[in-house]
Amino acid sequence: MILEIDNLVKHFPVGGGFPFGGSKGEVKAVDGVSFGIGAGETFALVGESGCGKTTIAKLILLLEKPTAGRIVFDGTDLTNLNSRQVKEYRRNAQAVFQDPYSSLNPRMKIRDILAEPIRAHQTMGRKDLERRLDEVLEIVGLPERAKRNYPHEFSGGQRQRIAVARALTLNPKFIVLDEPISALDVSIRAQILNLLEDIQKELGLTYLIIAHDLALVEHVSTTVGVMYLGNLVEIGPTAQVFDDPQHPYTQALLAAVPRPDPKHGLSEQLATGEIASALNPPSGCKFHPRCPHVMDVCSQTYPELRRIGESRAAGCHLLEEQSA
Amino acid sequence: MNADPQAKVGQPVLKVDDLRTHIFLKRGTVQAVDGVSFHVNAGETLGLVGESGSGKSMTSLSILRLIPKPGARTVSGRIEIDGINVLDLDEDTMVRDVRGKLVSMISQDPMTSLNPVFSIGDQVGAAFRFHDLVRGRSAIRDAVVNVLQRVRIPSPERRLDDFPHQYSGGMRQRVVAAMAIACSPKLMIADEPTSNLDVTIQVQIIRLLREIQKETGVGLIFITHDMGVAANICDRVAVMYAGRIVEIGDVETIFDNPSHPYTQGLLDSIPHLGRRRERLYSIPGNPPDMQNPPSGCRFAARCPHVMDRCRSEYPPEATVAPGHMAACWLVGKNE
Repeated sequence: MILEIDNLVKHFPVGGGFPFGGSKGEVKAVDGVSFGIGAGETFALVGESGCGKTTIAKLILLLEKPTAGRIVFDGTDLTNLNSRQVKEYRRNAQAVFQDPYSSLNPRMKIRDILAEPIRAHQTMGRKDLERRLDEVLEIVGLPERAKRNYPHEFSGGQRQRIAVARALTLNPKFIVLDEPISALDVSIRAQILNLLEDIQKELGLTYLIIAHDLALVEHVSTTVGVMYLGNLVEIGPTAQVFDDPQHPYTQALLAAVPRPDPKHGLSEQLATGEIASALNPPSGCKFHPRCPHVMDVCSQTYPELRRIGESRAAGCHLLEEQSA
Repeated sequence: MNADPQAKVGQPVLKVDDLRTHIFLKRGTVQAVDGVSFHVNAGETLGLVGESGSGKSMTSLSILRLIPKPGARTVSGRIEIDGINVLDLDEDTMVRDVRGKLVSMISQDPMTSLNPVFSIGDQVGAAFRFHDLVRGRSAIRDAVVNVLQRVRIPSPERRLDDFPHQYSGGMRQRVVAAMAIACSPKLMIADEPTSNLDVTIQVQIIRLLREIQKETGVGLIFITHDMGVAANICDRVAVMYAGRIVEIGDVETIFDNPSHPYTQGLLDSIPHLGRRRERLYSIPGNPPDMQNPPSGCRFAARCPHVMDRCRSEYPPEATVAPGHMAACWLVGKNE
């Protein structure tokens, strides 16, 4: 395991406000999540907006401090690092964000955008630096002359290539991809997807991909974790989870995906209503108000993740009934 | 309300003929919509699919005569809604008799299409008050409750005085749909109505729109870049690329038997749930610069089947089969 997450919790206080009055409550964005990512794997976190997947990415990138729990990267616990250790960690863990129109500084030339991580982490001679920049540009399929231009001179797809190149300059082991293609034009998406796959094979990278497009997740990931209101409800190898989803939420999510095939018929609506507020989540299983199989026990006790077979797990009372 | 909506199914409610809407900038002219023709029948859904910048939203704004002014101008063409050429009408008539009454619109983001400082009842009621369809406070209130019921908002009489922020995302989009059907229009334009919603909510809205259409027989233009959504809701699909329709046909034909290389490439490049492939096909290159569109076919630079002729002459709209048109030189050749 290159990355292990153990019982991670992140609560955000709401209301009140400095300096008077206490907090009015807490948004339980991440509420006890554990999983591990093996080296060379592509782990996908899926779920609807507000389920906490982006908060987990921020916690892993040390952009937020966890309320409780541990994140271990390559044997080092990330929760108590000093600033030098944080820097060392960031050399190994990089990120590519959703929107290449806001993730690249419009006032910097591509040369400076790509050189910035190197300058922050090490001293490198001018010639070596230029060589490294040419290398990463070649990997992402852009010409060397791109260094002299500004971000606005590139199309969306090219900008996302630049964002990928920036993530690669320090030779990281691990990259967080937060919705890497959803801001791009449909005809460009496959280019970036194929590029990310090629880079992973060539450089032996590990990916954590955050996405809401399930067809994309099925295509790129090896393992998938399905989140609902701050909890992991199902986890396992992507092919198995997608072929035979165990949790009613995973089933509803997969059934709702519109297929680009008119013969398939209309997507099915298995879940009713909408996601509850993370400020005041339902008792017991947080999915129970929307679940088609809801039982009495669902509103009373929270179903812990239960192992299914060797590598899968899901948190649902239905599975306990079956095995009992 | 029309006495018998079924009687009108099949009649064209919208005919667009050779529509050209250009945007005039200091640096030059962007040919955003450049010779687009199609029709929509009552009770049917036409999908306009294409990527950003392909002209699908400009086409819909041209129909409503809401293109940004100054700058954009519809330079030629005909847009007939229910037999009236709206390009001949003045702004007063558009406001009074066309927008909301004959044609309505559902936009992408329900948070920005609803006014945060007026209650839901006020905003939905505005449609009745403005077009003078219902008179008197309590009558309007009843009409609003009725229309909110039609979009399946639970206990609308209690939620009438709530404000938009008290509604969830999916419920807000239902309210927008209620405003769109309030005056029983002949044509509805939905511009990416589900793109900001989660999949489990998206399926609810798609089902709702189909039910509304069955009840009222309204003609629907559904704009989307998501081929999966298009396959779910459309009867016919028009694929747009760089300001033109490159292929149009019924939904089965477009998805199972596409004739234009752009449609083929697009369908091959999207991951398909349940159909695992080693590698996706990727269309090379980028969409053309619309200020200087290439002469000849606009897809030529990215097309795997490009011929000399493609680079010099724009291919005419060729009929592949009745109701199926593709603008490609290859289509004529196969005959």
